[in-house]
Amino acid sequence: MINSVRNTVLAVANKQNFGYITPFDFNLYAKQAQLDIFEDYFYRYSQWITKQNVRQSGSGYSDHVKNIEQAIDIFSTINTPDDTNGPVFPLPNDYYLLNVVRYGNREVERVSNSKLLHLTSSNLTAPTTTFPAYAMNGSDITVYPSTITTGVTIQYIRKPLDPKWTYVALGAGDSEPVFDQSATDYQDFELPPEDEPLLVAKILQYAGISIREKDLYVSGQNEEGKETQKQG
Amino acid sequence: MAYLTGYEYYENNGNLPEDANWGSYQYTSLTDIVNNFMLMYVGNDKLVNNAERYNVLFHAKRGIQELNYDAMKETKIVELTVCDNLRVVLPPDFVNWNRISLFKDGTLFPLTENVQTNFAKSYLQDNDCRVLFDQDGDVLIGTSLLDGSRIDGLHKTQYLGDGPFHGSLGYSIDGQWIFDFSIGARYGSNSETANMNPTFKIDKASGVINFSSHMTDEIVVIEYISDGMEGGDDSKVSVNKLFEDYIYAYIKYAILNSKFGVQEYIVNRAKKDKSSLLRNAKIRLSNIHPGRLLMNMRGQNKWIK
Repeated sequence: MINSVRNTVLAVANKQNFGYITPFDFNLYAKQAQLDIFEDYFYRYSQWITKQNVRQSGSGYSDHVKNIEQAIDIFSTINTPDDTNGPVFPLPNDYYLLNVVRYGNREVERVSNSKLLHLTSSNLTAPTTTFPAYAMNGSDITVYPSTITTGVTIQYIRKPLDPKWTYVALGAGDSEPVFDQSATDYQDFELPPEDEPLLVAKILQYAGISIREKDLYVSGQNEEGKETQKQG
Repeated sequence: MAYLTGYEYYENNGNLPEDANWGSYQYTSLTDIVNNFMLMYVGNDKLVNNAERYNVLFHAKRGIQELNYDAMKETKIVELTVCDNLRVVLPPDFVNWNRISLFKDGTLFPLTENVQTNFAKSYLQDNDCRVLFDQDGDVLIGTSLLDGSRIDGLHKTQYLGDGPFHGSLGYSIDGQWIFDFSIGARYGSNSETANMNPTFKIDKASGVINFSSHMTDEIVVIEYISDGMEGGDDSKVSVNKLFEDYIYAYIKYAILNSKFGVQEYIVNRAKKDKSSLLRNAKIRLSNIHPGRLLMNMRGQNKWIK
């Protein structure tokens, strides 16, 4: 998808004589655009749940909540954290949102640090191996009861990988680099194909700001506005 | 919990204890209740949303405790020998008693609770009846005469055997009854305490049952209720399936009732739901069916002398 996005961006930018975007710049804009859209999934998810509750979302193909869940689940990862310091387990570096922590086939419940003391002090709610709990501290989680030192797995939403349009540099006389998908550091966008127009619009905006071309920025912004309106 | 195979149910897959799964199908585990509730009753399109699992767990346990106190009829029974101190420590999961009996000669004799006190804490006093204290300012405790007289059999109890002293207060020492010289008229026995069997009184603060002097070296059978929390082992906490729907309704009501902004009619609906399900479950559990009623009704033509 990345080559197609780049071609479109270049076509729009060049057509209007707004100048050439280098692969390095394109990769920077692409990363930023992908992160923007990725973060927007969570806001849209929340908005669509509210709409669903007032019957503004249907089922099947019109189930927007399900569609957004599918897009987010592309980034879902299951990981077994290092248990050297159990019951304190480090989180992976690429985690964006921690979804579920499991101990065997049991879910470990997240508890805010402000409630933790009350929770562990009460006979009825104190975490047990049947109903374990965890609290987050920095980039670690601490699992309760402290007898749980191994067997913890986490399911989380990772950050998207940085997209990279890779190319083969031709001779000095050639002006256009050629797309090379076989490069080891090649990385396509990870977003679903339906977000391609949005990616193009966002990259155009960044390019417009970069080359101080207001028309390009506004054009990108308008395209994004239309896409966002369509998606709700 | 997954369904069990026949081998798993009857013989615990060859593991010990063999009887681990006997009768388990009557019950739904706490784990299942919490999981099912989180799955079916908590969600963005449900009445209950944004409820933490520990909220659900707390209310589920409270609901099970309440059921154990009256509706569930899950009585625990323990058998103990009463020693010379005429005292038995309450079972570790004791909440309240149903029946306390003397087991003697193959028969259970239900004991009555002594309406009068048979134990006391004795404060030490000086000659001027002033209470004595130790260096920390705590009251000095001595041996209670009331306790002593009960243990020594010097506490008067009512004689209900045959003969002219029937209904009189006397001392029972080593199986022999001794009476004071009778003064004044007697107008029948005190029916409130008229029972030949030994008596008991529970000292809740001390966590013991104090018995009258006749209970020395006897076997006592205590039927009591607990709160169903199985000593804090959540994996063993369960509830009879007849109460499963009630527990869901109880949790739902408890959460909605304590949540801000829930309309009163929704809270009331949940309350009615809970109450009617409890009633249904109690009726089901009482096992009223024609065969049983028939047995009860057979006594209707019996002459009462």
